[in-house]
Amino acid sequence: MPNILEVRDLAKYFGGVRALDGVTISVPEKSIVGLIGPNGSGKTTLFNVVTGFYEPTRGEVLLRDDDGSVERIDGLNPNEVFLKGVVRTFQVPRLFTSLTVLENVLVTPPVQIGERVLDAPFKSRWEKQERELARKAVGLLKRFGMGDYVYSRVTELSVAHIKLLETIRGLMTSATLYLLDEPAAGVDYGVARELFNYIRGLREEGLTFFIVEHRLDVLMDYVDYVYVLHNGKLLSEGKPSEVVNDPKVIEAYIGG
Amino acid sequence: MPEFDLLGFLIQWLTIFGLYSILAITLNLEAGFAGLTNFGKVVFYGIGAYVGATLTTYLTLHLNNVDPFEYPPYSIDGIVKLIELGGKSPPLSIGLLALSLIIAFIAAGSVGFLLTYPILRVGPAFVGFTLLSFGELMRVFLRHYEPVGGSKGLAAIPRPFSWVGDPKLSGFLFLLLVLGLVAFTYITMDRLTNSPIGRVFRAVRDDEIAALCLGKHVPRIKALTLFIGSGFSGMAGALMAYYFTSVNPDMFVPAVTFNVWAMVILGGMGNFTGSIIGVALFTLVDRLLAFITPTLGVTAISPDYIRWMFVGLLIVIVLLFMPKGLLAERPLKTPAADEARKLLAEGVGSAQHT
Amino acid sequence: MRRLKMPQVPWDVLSSLTVMVVQYSLLYMIFAVPLTLSYRTTKVINFVHSNFVTYGAYAAILLNGLYGNRNMLLAAALAFTVSGGIAVLNNVAVFRPLDKKGAKPVALMISSMGLWIFYKYLLYTIIDLATYFSRINFVSYPKIVYEWIPSLSLGSVKLSSSFIATSLSAAAMIAGLYALLEKTNLGRAMRAVSDNPTLSEISGIPRHMVVNLTWLIAGGIAGVGGVLWTSYAGSITPEAGDSMILQIFTVGFIGGLSSLTRTCIGAVLVASIENYGITLLNQFFGVETSYKPFLTFITLITTLVVSPPLGAGGGLPYKLFRRAGRSA
Repeated sequence: MPNILEVRDLAKYFGGVRALDGVTISVPEKSIVGLIGPNGSGKTTLFNVVTGFYEPTRGEVLLRDDDGSVERIDGLNPNEVFLKGVVRTFQVPRLFTSLTVLENVLVTPPVQIGERVLDAPFKSRWEKQERELARKAVGLLKRFGMGDYVYSRVTELSVAHIKLLETIRGLMTSATLYLLDEPAAGVDYGVARELFNYIRGLREEGLTFFIVEHRLDVLMDYVDYVYVLHNGKLLSEGKPSEVVNDPKVIEAYIGG
Repeated sequence: MPEFDLLGFLIQWLTIFGLYSILAITLNLEAGFAGLTNFGKVVFYGIGAYVGATLTTYLTLHLNNVDPFEYPPYSIDGIVKLIELGGKSPPLSIGLLALSLIIAFIAAGSVGFLLTYPILRVGPAFVGFTLLSFGELMRVFLRHYEPVGGSKGLAAIPRPFSWVGDPKLSGFLFLLLVLGLVAFTYITMDRLTNSPIGRVFRAVRDDEIAALCLGKHVPRIKALTLFIGSGFSGMAGALMAYYFTSVNPDMFVPAVTFNVWAMVILGGMGNFTGSIIGVALFTLVDRLLAFITPTLGVTAISPDYIRWMFVGLLIVIVLLFMPKGLLAERPLKTPAADEARKLLAEGVGSAQHT
Repeated sequence: MRRLKMPQVPWDVLSSLTVMVVQYSLLYMIFAVPLTLSYRTTKVINFVHSNFVTYGAYAAILLNGLYGNRNMLLAAALAFTVSGGIAVLNNVAVFRPLDKKGAKPVALMISSMGLWIFYKYLLYTIIDLATYFSRINFVSYPKIVYEWIPSLSLGSVKLSSSFIATSLSAAAMIAGLYALLEKTNLGRAMRAVSDNPTLSEISGIPRHMVVNLTWLIAGGIAGVGGVLWTSYAGSITPEAGDSMILQIFTVGFIGGLSSLTRTCIGAVLVASIENYGITLLNQFFGVETSYKPFLTFITLITTLVVSPPLGAGGGLPYKLFRRAGRSA
């Protein structure tokens, strides 16, 4: 499988702090790749650089398009990275709290006629598209067992549903790469496994996942490959079974 | 006490009410929906007023074959000429009105658009402060810029309907114009906010970083919001210049902005009807105060100061005890919810399960 | 043919201008350091800050006008109490309840705007009453000459007693804040609250007490700044604080509303740009000196574009400028 995402010798310094220091990572298409490491090891910084929050101090981020062409995406703005087909979720979920579940999902589709200011006041111009998108959104919500929550405010949802919703939002586009930041944090074991079952299902449909996770007990059963970050550098990488038995990793987790 | 002129009172009150309604509705769009803390509302209102005043006075002179550089409209001679010429030609008056409204919209809107550039990346605190201080700069500039009359401003601006003759009728026609613009503003804003772009406004307000990560061009949305809001405020400003027939820098103090904020907060952020109620209450109290104050005679304490203390306290009290205001934000109205309802009613059986 | 005369550098003008720049730098430090201090601990962008300065100034003026006080220490003590008291009162009555109800930072800022209007017109009312009963014009009050403070002459350079008082106060403020923040438990707790509001209970000092003390100190110092202003400005009006709000906030923004050192640098920068800048523009292009705020505003805009205070005020991770020449 060709790599959909490649991070080459990536570094990000904040003043004197080297949050990332020469990290090289490959995420093959249609795979689930894990990224683990102790707190402060640079996992979220890596996500932030890949999704355009920060410009890297050094190195590059390459993304493979649908048609196979490879493009540098470091230095793009977050909205542009999204439009290239990269969806990201957050450690602390960021949903639109005054909108309903359905509306949260409907924010996502990129080319909406009703988002153009000169068309927006005229319902007839965008109503058809709006109804189509609504049907798609309801279909998705139902499929993930959230059919009962279509009209709920997101503040009324459980943590698991909030996490799920953040991912579902991305499915409204043709995005192919998902960066999930601790999807299983704050949900109980059973729900976490359910969440990862969904992720596995989506992988079968051709999506790629790159996941930061602290819950190794869950993560390791689902990922194809794992990278371990420590103090901004790659400590280890390999198949889950190899990584968990790597003495360096064990030491970092116990010592860190 | 002088005889109470109910009709005159209503025309006066409703005109002021209309002008402030446009400001309040657009501020609600900016602050209530898109989360842009515009503490410089008065800037755009002022730009519109000065555009209207300058265009109308200079062009009235010029098109009547009076050289505005020989008789500048801020000089005594110019004012005399303006009083003489104003209201002579209905087509000219109406033409100038239309031109003023259009240019006021474009000028105020463009300044709003450009001002978003420095404040794109910073939080609401800095947005509010930057716009606030820009307003003060504008006043410094106007006070020293001779062609718009410096600190004295422009006076004797010909009113668009003064050719009617009867002042009450012309005042009434003007009121109709103002209320027409209020209706246009209200309908436009209501439609905008109940559409997919309205959904994006709310998304940006709730969490601009999340909106950015979902591909929304947040800077463009902010600039657009401020363009629209400021453009409409500019039109309100142009109308205000006609209503008072004069403009001067001290009419555009930050206090005007805070007045509008108080109205919007009282009425309810994110609810246009609430804003209109807020404006109605405020302007009514102000009109009544204007009647009562002269009857109090000279006092140690100025009723004006007391009024302002009350405005400040009102903002705090509403935020503390009634944060949603008189009317809470209404849920978004697009056909999506309706479509979803239909789909859900069709039953679980027909839904695709994978 | 007459020979062109080289323009003479007017040394006396330059030196008195420089003294003025130094004095403004120190005054802006005293006005703006407490703004940064209060923002980084409380995360409230506080428009009442300009009231702190004005109330401090009027504490001194009323004391002078009604009781003939010319003792600056007494005036400063009263000003500290009044402005610091207002700051604590605001926190207890408004900011903390709002925070407890889960109000957004925007709501806190808007409430501070409401308070700003309230205090401004409350002061106008107080001044009106004082003027009414004492028959002294408090609306525009002349500079106060305080007793016991010497003035100095170093050659042709004259340092007024106001300059001496301002320098001493600035030095005292910097030394005091350094000692407080670096050497005491309370100071460490204040820094802990600003770094991590949720974890700060660890230090053993309750969070709300730290916040209240921060407000007291911030309001108090700004109030003392107001007293210094009464010894310097030609005349003092109830608009004193508001007329400097652009400068004060710009200085704070340069400091990112987080670093006290950078705030002090900002004070020097703003004072230099506006005073040297307007003198140059006036001399060479005949620009009126009342356009001075434009220079400050340009400084503000430049700060926001080039080095936006992102961490402090929230902000959008959006790059206005791209690195040139990057493509796959």
